[in-house]
Amino acid sequence: MYKVVIGLEVHCELKTKSKNFSSAPNTFSTFPNSNVAAVDLGLPGILPVVNKEACRKALLTAMALNCQNPDEVIFDRKNYFYPDLPKGYQITQVTKPMGVNGYLDVLVGDKIKRVKIHQLHLEEDTASLEHHPKYSLIDYNRSGIPLIEIVTEPCIESGEEAVAFLEDLRDVFLFLGVSEAKSNYGQMRCDVNISLMEEGSTKLGTKVEMKNINAFNNVKVAIEYEIKRQSALLDKGEKIIQETRRIAEDGKTYSMREKVDAIDYKYFIEPNIPSTPLRHEYLEELRSSLPELKLDRYLKYINKYNIGKSDAKVLAKVRSISDYFEEVLSYGSDVSLAVNFVTTSILSTLNKLEISVDELFISPKMLSEVIEYVYQGKISLDHGKKILYKAIEEKIDPIELIKKENLKQINDEDELLELIKKVMDDNLEQVRQYIEEDNKHVINFFIGQTMKVSNRQANPNKSLELIKCELERRKTDGK
Amino acid sequence: MYRGKNITKIRELLDKKVITKEEVFEKATSLAHYFQDEYNSFVTILDKVKIKDSDSLLSGIPYALKDNFSTRGILTTASSNILKDYVPVYDATVYKKLKKAGATLVGKTVLDELAMGGTGTTAHTGVVRNPWDKERMIGGSSAGSAACVALGIVPFAIGSDTGDSVRKPAGFGGIVGFKPTYGRISRYGLFAFASSLDHVAICSRNVRDAALVTDILKGQDPLDMVTLKSENVKYVDTLNDDIKGKKLFYIKEVCGKDFYKDTNDLVLKKVITTFHDMLDKCRDKGFIIEEVSIDMDLLTALYPAYMCISCAEATSNNANLTGIQFGPRGVGNTIEEIIFNARTEGFSELIKRRFVLGSYILQKENQEKLYLNACRVRRLIVDKITELFEEYDGMIAPCSGGVAPTFDSRSEKLSARYLILENHMVMGNFGGFPSITIPYTMIDKLPVGLNITGRVKDDALILNIAQKIEELTGLKDIYAKVGEIDV
Amino acid sequence: MIDKEKLEEYASKLMFKMKDEEYKTLQEEFEIILKQMELIGKIPNIEKVEPMTFPFKNTDVNLREDEILDYLTVGEVLENTKHQIDDQVKVPKVVDEDV
Repeated sequence: MYKVVIGLEVHCELKTKSKNFSSAPNTFSTFPNSNVAAVDLGLPGILPVVNKEACRKALLTAMALNCQNPDEVIFDRKNYFYPDLPKGYQITQVTKPMGVNGYLDVLVGDKIKRVKIHQLHLEEDTASLEHHPKYSLIDYNRSGIPLIEIVTEPCIESGEEAVAFLEDLRDVFLFLGVSEAKSNYGQMRCDVNISLMEEGSTKLGTKVEMKNINAFNNVKVAIEYEIKRQSALLDKGEKIIQETRRIAEDGKTYSMREKVDAIDYKYFIEPNIPSTPLRHEYLEELRSSLPELKLDRYLKYINKYNIGKSDAKVLAKVRSISDYFEEVLSYGSDVSLAVNFVTTSILSTLNKLEISVDELFISPKMLSEVIEYVYQGKISLDHGKKILYKAIEEKIDPIELIKKENLKQINDEDELLELIKKVMDDNLEQVRQYIEEDNKHVINFFIGQTMKVSNRQANPNKSLELIKCELERRKTDGK
Repeated sequence: MYRGKNITKIRELLDKKVITKEEVFEKATSLAHYFQDEYNSFVTILDKVKIKDSDSLLSGIPYALKDNFSTRGILTTASSNILKDYVPVYDATVYKKLKKAGATLVGKTVLDELAMGGTGTTAHTGVVRNPWDKERMIGGSSAGSAACVALGIVPFAIGSDTGDSVRKPAGFGGIVGFKPTYGRISRYGLFAFASSLDHVAICSRNVRDAALVTDILKGQDPLDMVTLKSENVKYVDTLNDDIKGKKLFYIKEVCGKDFYKDTNDLVLKKVITTFHDMLDKCRDKGFIIEEVSIDMDLLTALYPAYMCISCAEATSNNANLTGIQFGPRGVGNTIEEIIFNARTEGFSELIKRRFVLGSYILQKENQEKLYLNACRVRRLIVDKITELFEEYDGMIAPCSGGVAPTFDSRSEKLSARYLILENHMVMGNFGGFPSITIPYTMIDKLPVGLNITGRVKDDALILNIAQKIEELTGLKDIYAKVGEIDV
Repeated sequence: MIDKEKLEEYASKLMFKMKDEEYKTLQEEFEIILKQMELIGKIPNIEKVEPMTFPFKNTDVNLREDEILDYLTVGEVLENTKHQIDDQVKVPKVVDEDV
């Protein structure tokens, strides 16, 4: 058996209006070279001008990952030649990254795994290359888009952990609103470093690198394949080659090339960007704007609110849903009813209408009022849900709808009994079946009839009890 | 009627309608063409101009721009083969401001290739000659800008100054060269040589004109993060302030009388004597001038530290020159081949050597000893000068130890003495100090300049001091009266 | 003395070639500058000095507000290259996918 040691490098494009160092648009365009400023093209004489919002988002993310922030913003140049890098250098951060020494707690199965973050820095994306059989084409639209790179410590031990981390990291981006993090658009990309070491050994194994994997599931497939491949080699007493591999469509990894000497990027501080001090007050203000993250919400839901794990997971997963749910609770709504309404009616409506919760007609306040009606027994749960759907469809305040339709619940036992007796007198055949054939199924029939006759206002639980009693009474009397 | 006139005089002619803006432009371009073959100031001479209406003092005033400023639609080569066909798609901030002021661009001037040189001999279009003596260099890298002002073609020209690239040729050309505080003028659109040292600078024929042009160009630019907040003060208004009691120092190891008493170099001797005579005249005028001594080790470190920092930044700044998205495409079947060929053919030998040096200096294993030590020396020197500026208002020195060198002269770069006297103006770039060169004497009919450098952001005072000294030299508004052309 | 092979390697990393005689000049230059830098290394306590990147502390720095302002048209982007297909810059096929 070998111990698996995995480190991840995750790149994520930040959502801003303009690019990191130019005022060209940071939007996805299908028209090549339509979002390019002179700066992004590396024309002679251009100078970078730092986007304040990109810095804010990078700092905020670093804070959410429990990193230490620097005392000033400075950038460095990473020098290398490549056709997707028009300046011949990338502006990045080496000397003072936006965050260092952080961590993200991740739920893997039922356990919390702490993934240590080595650093988070802000840099710029490269141009994109489109490969054809005989030539390649360069589109500079992506050049200069703000990019954060998050480097973990080599502390991940399985493909499952890696994917859990990536998914939770993406949820952090989404919770913070710093990125859309769509991996299918290449907005979030991942490099994997993996090595195996003998159980009990302290000597790290030879590192294999896999670059630019977009889909999270591929990360898992690639890791699992590598574990198998490397284990087999080690079992045979063979050496692992330090190399870069890529994952192919068949789920296997293939060698791209052996790692020769590491490239010397000749880093130095970018002289065109004077240092900008980060004031303590600014950082504190930013820190106080951090939302509660997914895991904390999940733990709060199960521990404080006694919500079941699967519901808690669903509720904590998307920030807008979670915020909505918590706002409903803030009006004093019953927790289990709130969970019920949000995880069923609200989520299914959002799915059906393909809208976000912000676009939903029913505000948390309205929902809390409906829940209150149900909680106080003024209407049934069933009614509550039906009203909600109708309110959404007709865009009418649900409480008005309840009043308009004169909805209430009949809870008075005398009133209910009178109704039930009438139903039974009208359906003597079913009563006979109960008495003579001991047919219990007729109970459901009577409930249905009672609801129908009462215009669905009869309290179903009470009705059930009363129906049972009445049938028993008639059985005894009939003897 | 036009040639050799300064900005104020041309303004007068225009305002009194003695001459039209179009006529002024025509005269300037005809001069430019007339002197082009002999002195080679220009890469491009423009043949037409659209003059913007403006009430600026520069409206209708012709000028020249170094060919490393981005000018939309006008060839901009940086005097390098690698950019020989490059026509920019955007304007440098400096060019934009001058256009807005109504100044008329006569031509783009020759420089040492990519501004990396001090001789004016390395441009892809040939050497620039000194108007005072054709057999001599004008110096560089802003060679053409200095030459066309020294020839009286235009009253002012824009250059760039990374080591002393405007102030040195200004000295050899008998004109004024002013490099304001780092960040005073936007560098946006100036082809970068060494970004932490690059300054936009001005060639003119008197201090007042330099102040006037700086007033137009200065100000914070959202496109250049290092630019300073705009000041409300107009430099041209404070030029006549009283300088009585202003304190200047000169560095003994740069230009002390005793320091050179044993030299056999007669021209150097003359430079030092005339310089000290000039200091005496300044004292008579009310300046207090004292000698200070600075550690020789620090001063000898100036030039090597400058080489390290500038070459390191330059190798990175010019990594965009691959012939991929602009510039002549190299031939080849692979991407590597085409970049290799473009760069191999596009750069001259000197440039390549400097890039290799810069790259070596930045290598991981050398950074500490070379690049970072150079940056440390930079701090030591800047701290020392800044400390002196607490007591003194400015530093004064001759621009160089002699007159403009002949083309065949071999520089004695290696002797420590020359190393300092020939390169001390680099201090102005290290610290971003405002620094100005003005002609102060003629030796063998060739002009020699002196340099005044002052506190960061105190551009006004430096111009003020320079203007007062200019009054003592009798060399205000001089130009080389060569050629038989009368316009 | 830095050997020629080493210098050739540096030049090649900078994507250009140099002629044999040019390397000779370069070796001489290297010798001079390295000697001078060695002297700098001997300045007492030099290692304790903080390296200087910016000429002075600039207190006027503003980060840019996140707004879309000037940028180039597609035509301007491509104006300086003849090698283009479908509004993109054409280069020989790039084989090695990453750096």
